[in-house]
Amino acid sequence: MKHARRVTQGVFLVVFFFLFLQTESKGTDELGYPVKLFIDFDPLIFLSTILSSHALAAALYLSIILIVLTMLLGRVFCGWVCPLGTLNNIIGSMKRWPPREKARNWFRVKYYILFFILASSLFTMQLVGIMDPLSLVVRSFSLSIYPAFNYSVNAALDAAYKLNVKGITTVADYVYEISKKTVLAFQQPYFTQGVFVGLLFIGILALNLVERRFWCRYLCPLGALLGLLSRYPLLKRTASEGCNACGACEYSCQGNAKPGDPGTWMPTECLYCWNCDDMCPRDGVSFRFSIKKAPAKLDLGRRKVLASALAGAAAVPLFRATPVFKSGYPDPGLIRPPGALEEREFLAKCVKCGECMKVCTTNGLQPTLFEAGAEGIWSPMLVPRIGYCEYKCTLCGQVCPTGAIQKLAFEDKAKVKIGTAMVDRSRCLPFAHAIPCIVCEEMCPLPKKAIWFEETRAMNRDGKPVEVKQPHVDLELCTGCGICETKCPLVGKPGIYITSIGETRSKENQLLLGSRESSPSL
Amino acid sequence: MERRDFLKAAAAAGVGLAIPDKLNTLLHAATTAVTQRIDLAICHGASPAAITRAAVDALGGMRHFISKGDVVVVKPNIGWDRTPEQAANTNPLVVATLVLMCYEAGAKKVKVFDRSCDDARRCYVQSGIPLAAEAAGAEVSFINDRKFKEVAIGGERIKSWLLYTELLEADKIINVPIAKTHSLAKLTMSLKNWMGVMGGPRGRIHQGIDEALVDLALVIKPALTVLDAVRILTANGPTGGSLNDVKKLDTVIAGVDQIAIDSYGATLFGMTGNDLGFVRAGARRGIGTMDLSKLSIKKIEA
Repeated sequence: MKHARRVTQGVFLVVFFFLFLQTESKGTDELGYPVKLFIDFDPLIFLSTILSSHALAAALYLSIILIVLTMLLGRVFCGWVCPLGTLNNIIGSMKRWPPREKARNWFRVKYYILFFILASSLFTMQLVGIMDPLSLVVRSFSLSIYPAFNYSVNAALDAAYKLNVKGITTVADYVYEISKKTVLAFQQPYFTQGVFVGLLFIGILALNLVERRFWCRYLCPLGALLGLLSRYPLLKRTASEGCNACGACEYSCQGNAKPGDPGTWMPTECLYCWNCDDMCPRDGVSFRFSIKKAPAKLDLGRRKVLASALAGAAAVPLFRATPVFKSGYPDPGLIRPPGALEEREFLAKCVKCGECMKVCTTNGLQPTLFEAGAEGIWSPMLVPRIGYCEYKCTLCGQVCPTGAIQKLAFEDKAKVKIGTAMVDRSRCLPFAHAIPCIVCEEMCPLPKKAIWFEETRAMNRDGKPVEVKQPHVDLELCTGCGICETKCPLVGKPGIYITSIGETRSKENQLLLGSRESSPSL
Repeated sequence: MERRDFLKAAAAAGVGLAIPDKLNTLLHAATTAVTQRIDLAICHGASPAAITRAAVDALGGMRHFISKGDVVVVKPNIGWDRTPEQAANTNPLVVATLVLMCYEAGAKKVKVFDRSCDDARRCYVQSGIPLAAEAAGAEVSFINDRKFKEVAIGGERIKSWLLYTELLEADKIINVPIAKTHSLAKLTMSLKNWMGVMGGPRGRIHQGIDEALVDLALVIKPALTVLDAVRILTANGPTGGSLNDVKKLDTVIAGVDQIAIDSYGATLFGMTGNDLGFVRAGARRGIGTMDLSKLSIKKIEA
């Protein structure tokens, strides 16, 4: 069975990476692959999103399949499917373990983490994405591991090109063409928190060297949810009478499910890796369907369960009593992608998986740190100096698994303002320096351009008049896409820049009389 | 519709290829012998492929410009995430016809690329150019940032700049711009199309655009230029987006002298070459001829 499991794990990991690589524009309006499929199956995201937003994303109904599967078969997802589980598995097997390595007995911790997360969800704060394994693995690869991989390949190719030796350049060219078509990103991705997100991920993988599947055994909230669902699985491990409780299987158990004694096996911790069956010297172990009660009960301690849930509830006011949540005090730099829900609703739904940032054609979508409060960490925000919102692109809304960014048709997207451009007259070349420049207007993608010119004569130092066109922004037309800021030739601080003011999704972050009514939101 | 047109054109060209090579050469020699020197061929007609072919043929045929075994770069405008109907990028059929004609004239390889302004993937797909050009046999590629090389230009505004090596290394270059409005240059046509092979912070060129464009023409010398005016963009250029700003002229203008072409192109918008700073600068600096009365212009219906 071990081989069957490993092959299955490998297949799912390959599918995961394949879908990950497809999370990239090919120039067409749609991607053509269900790139968020793994997250669609995630019952933890399903549950916490229902709690936090009292609404559902249709695709998440797929997770009901996993719920039913787990109730019947136990945590097979953890042992056979989960990409993070498989990666943990691989890293854990790299170390040579002492023959009778003793496991820690911290399995309850993950349940407390789960209760903490669900309780805060119930009070509208959505923290699930920080620790949900699928969200975590997509985010870590999107923002950190994959950019680092691209960087290393590109650096090697750059070095080869710089040698400028004919044969080597030809080979480098060839390697580049092949890898570009297969594994490399269209352009090198850069993310503001690549190091932070990456170190956390590497830390989680490194925990496997402390104890195998440390994350899965002790920390994973999805593992805990699936554990709760598999308290009474139909598929059970049974030990035959031949078992003399030699304890050999204890040390091969991936989940630390205490299989050593037939009476102590914990279905909630079992990852169904089949190792105990494979290695039993007496061939006394088997997994069978039966409706008998499982041997060991999951005892989490009522006080501790209550305490972790209360902590989750208490975290909500703690996280919220920051100016970000003060009415009429929006962060001007917090430019959300088009289709993003009103900020409160958005935060209740965003699971920080990073799919939108991975797919963003210009690399402009970047993870927040505290711009949206601590609870909004790693949610997407547009940083126009890095990349703008491509006028006809609607991919971020297509890949968002929870509907935090709504899927918009182009015709609808074109009507959405994510912010507004304004000119910095103290830097803009035609305003401040009497130097001609029209790049912002040239780039503006609107059929009727949102940037118009005042043709005027400016004076240069010699007192000579210079004809310049000074740009002005049509506040009603401008959608805040940011291409003007991205392309402004003023390197560093731009001469035209976007802030979130005027964004369609907000009632109060408005400027113009006659825009959406300015009633304070609760 | 356009695709079908193209396939028709491709089929017609296939028939052309089937004519024995010697006979073809003879015909070619005969046509060049009878035609007098023509500076600009203006061809009007419903089929972009047919007018492109007729215009180049009027100048003596592609063999006049392309030799056997040449590596040719055909440089269209693929700058924007826009469809052919929106007239922000060069008409794909005009591009593909030129690619086809290069191969007919014996070119070894025809390359097509542009450094887009919007996301290159979207520009390439939406423009329809790769689809048509690849069907005609071209090698269409995205810009590879490693392939820019600092080139001494020694112009009035540009002393040196990063230019695309694939262009520099080509045996022959064909310029295929589209005619559009532009808020600073007023119009963007042949000369301005060369911004598409500039690397680095090319937005700075606007600080002295007229002279800078002529500077580029000092080092980039196309063997042939075909200005696409099948559709022109009359307002909100160079991006456009509204079909109200598009005017269908069903015309291409072919020639060697880019200043002459741009000077003629101005007339399509109700201007003259003298209204355009870069055309004036080009004429003044001896790059080409602005005065249309000094040119031999042939108008053809196809």
